Amino acid sequence: MTPVIAMAAARYRYPETDHDALGPVDLAIGPGEWVGVVGPTNAGKSTLCYVIIGLAPQFFGGRLRGEVSVFGSPTASQPVNERSRRAGLLFQNPFTQLSGARERVDEEVAFGPEAHGLPQAEVEERVAEALRLTGLQDLRARHPLDLSGGQLQRLALAALLAMRPELLLLDEPTSQLDPAGSRALFDVLRGLHAAGTTIVMVEHRLEAVAAMCPRVIALGEGRLLADGAPAEVFNRPEVQASAGIPAFARLAALVGKGPPLPVTFESAVEALRG
Amino acid sequence: MARGLSLYAEGSSPLHRAHPLTKATLTLCAIGLAFILPSWPLVLGVGVALLSLLAAAGVLRRFLFVAAGLLVPITLLLALVQSLANPHNQTVILPLGPLAVHREGLYIGLLAALRIADLVAATFLFSFTTRPADLAEALMQRGLSPRFGYVIQSALQIIPQSLETADRIRDAQRARGLETEGPLPRRARAFIPLLLPLVLSALVATQERAMALEVRGFGLKVGRLARYRIPDSLGQRVLRWGLALAVVAALAARLRGWL
Amino acid sequence: MAEIVLRSVCFDYSSAVPVFREPGITLALPQAAIALIGENGAGKTTLTKLLNGLLRPRTGSVVVAGTPVAERSVAQMAPVIGYAFQNPDDQLFERTVRDEVAFGPRVMGRPRETVQAAVDRALDLCGLAGQASTHPHDLVLAERKWVTIASALAADPPVVVLDEPTLGQDWAGRERLRALVRALGGQGRLVLVVTHDIDFVAQACDWTVVLTRGLVRYSGRTALAFADEGRMEEAGLELPAGTRLARALGADPAPVGDEAFAAWYRVRPA
Repeated sequence: MTPVIAMAAARYRYPETDHDALGPVDLAIGPGEWVGVVGPTNAGKSTLCYVIIGLAPQFFGGRLRGEVSVFGSPTASQPVNERSRRAGLLFQNPFTQLSGARERVDEEVAFGPEAHGLPQAEVEERVAEALRLTGLQDLRARHPLDLSGGQLQRLALAALLAMRPELLLLDEPTSQLDPAGSRALFDVLRGLHAAGTTIVMVEHRLEAVAAMCPRVIALGEGRLLADGAPAEVFNRPEVQASAGIPAFARLAALVGKGPPLPVTFESAVEALRG
Repeated sequence: MARGLSLYAEGSSPLHRAHPLTKATLTLCAIGLAFILPSWPLVLGVGVALLSLLAAAGVLRRFLFVAAGLLVPITLLLALVQSLANPHNQTVILPLGPLAVHREGLYIGLLAALRIADLVAATFLFSFTTRPADLAEALMQRGLSPRFGYVIQSALQIIPQSLETADRIRDAQRARGLETEGPLPRRARAFIPLLLPLVLSALVATQERAMALEVRGFGLKVGRLARYRIPDSLGQRVLRWGLALAVVAALAARLRGWL
Repeated sequence: MAEIVLRSVCFDYSSAVPVFREPGITLALPQAAIALIGENGAGKTTLTKLLNGLLRPRTGSVVVAGTPVAERSVAQMAPVIGYAFQNPDDQLFERTVRDEVAFGPRVMGRPRETVQAAVDRALDLCGLAGQASTHPHDLVLAERKWVTIASALAADPPVVVLDEPTLGQDWAGRERLRALVRALGGQGRLVLVVTHDIDFVAQACDWTVVLTRGLVRYSGRTALAFADEGRMEEAGLELPAGTRLARALGADPAPVGDEAFAAWYRVRPA
């Protein structure tokens, strides 16, 4: 099967810098995978998202070497707005990814589908669906500027979901959410995953990554440190030294269990029971 | 924490329901007439018409509130400066030591103030009764490119957005010890720490927003479909042409010296 | 002696949406590392803004480090209470990190040498010593947040408010933050951490305030804050990882914090 994302010896360097922010990276992500991306600040996590969606180099400039293709076509050969028909990116800052031109929450969500030229009936159907998934129905008539940080983040996600992307890139999607908001977001992602959406999620909360993502990649200084199942990746010393340790693994280590350390709640309960 | 974010005031008056282009024409023509018509009764007539429209739209109080702060100082200033110093001044009506208030200058100053009042009233009439989105939509349905439509819509949002950011910046800098109230020199010193973050964050936001727009498919060549229908009518079309003709007629009359 | 005292504080942004309604919030907080937790919209940010006069209560009084807030301007409160807000871009404007951090004590009119030393200390604590001459906007968001934290510390205030400091921080940043909060609490300061990061609370804070829909549901030692599961659920909060784990292993009451967890595990009944 053609991978959704295929990178071969991909390297990217921002303009006016003297080192690669990313790479060399070899990576293949197949349809329907849910991949967590972890690593310290400046490890290249956001850059990875920009390279996959094509903003790097199309928007930033700089230099991309090696091969990067998404849905089988090289990112260099297709404008970013063209790729938006199949792939979406949720940015870190929920405020700046609003269009800044719409005065109601539902109109903001309609922005993407309208840009895609969808018929009005379908736009409305998608907007309703996206608002329902993100729990924003009651706020649909509000002005986006009147929303709280958490609500803005849900709005940014709704705006993306209304475009029904087959590939969803999320850069720290829970950063503004309270625990209830995070749980709701993860429920949405579980639903999308079950429906076959490919998800790549940058997340600092390692417990969440360990609990939900069947596959984790750890980045360090722009390179792939590890790529595999959470239980394997989070037990690598070089990953623990840079990306850190999920809370349950930390607690298990504290009382002398492992290695291998349990990385999820369930496996920790089991390991510590013995 | 709901707050007024654009000047638009929700309403259901005929003016609210009128086509944005009708209101835009009305506003531009009122401004045109105010500056073309030569004598104060006519200029005042334009103002009275605008005030009745503001009243009909249910936004008269709101207008008076905003306008008082703006127009009273302007009127006083114009009347004072013109009546004291206009070169056409001849007839003294109130001697003030070495200076004197003159009838001619007072008339010129008050007429200028009246014209500015018409301009402000016309502008507010439009802003109070027209949703910016409707204006952009109406223009796009008449062939304006979506990119340009976006520019209009986002430009109209820049002020409320900046006000919001400016509030947060002021809070942050005051919490760091910056006095933003009090005598002028103190407030002047506060200018840079308040302004620079606004400029810098606007630059950063613009870049990020441009990226996000790409990712949301902005600028794709798609046959753009009308988002919603903005009702227009024959009556409104006639009114628009009529208003435009009135301005042209007034201009012609003025140039011919008939007015 | 309590560092922060609120008496019958009522507040609303508009009469339609009261945040702190009658009879108002009454709260006394000691010099310690204190967590302020609760769901979005519970009133956490509003509460912190009442502490330096950014918001003024409708009724009631607020006293911070012996200073009645009502008698001071916001700027006059700055030497008493330092703030690190959520969004660093709302305040950064100087050309270097060092100048940025020095801004607060400078506008307070402190002597140059004092400022210099305080800035060095703050930069050190925040891991920014190597970036003192960098332009703040050349740093990534997580680092810019550290600049605002250093700015809040540079005036050496007895009370420090950190609004969602763990957001966007990586593991190392979080560890540094934990050490910082513990150190500040240990120095006899009051550091108030507004956060959703419950694990961080368990690891770094001695005292916890739980706010739910404008009401103080709990204010006391963190070790006892999570005992009442109903209260936690009402506040839309989760249990810290160690507490949750110990509970699943049969602990009652469940320990809070890593040391407590390890101690409990060592002597747990088989």
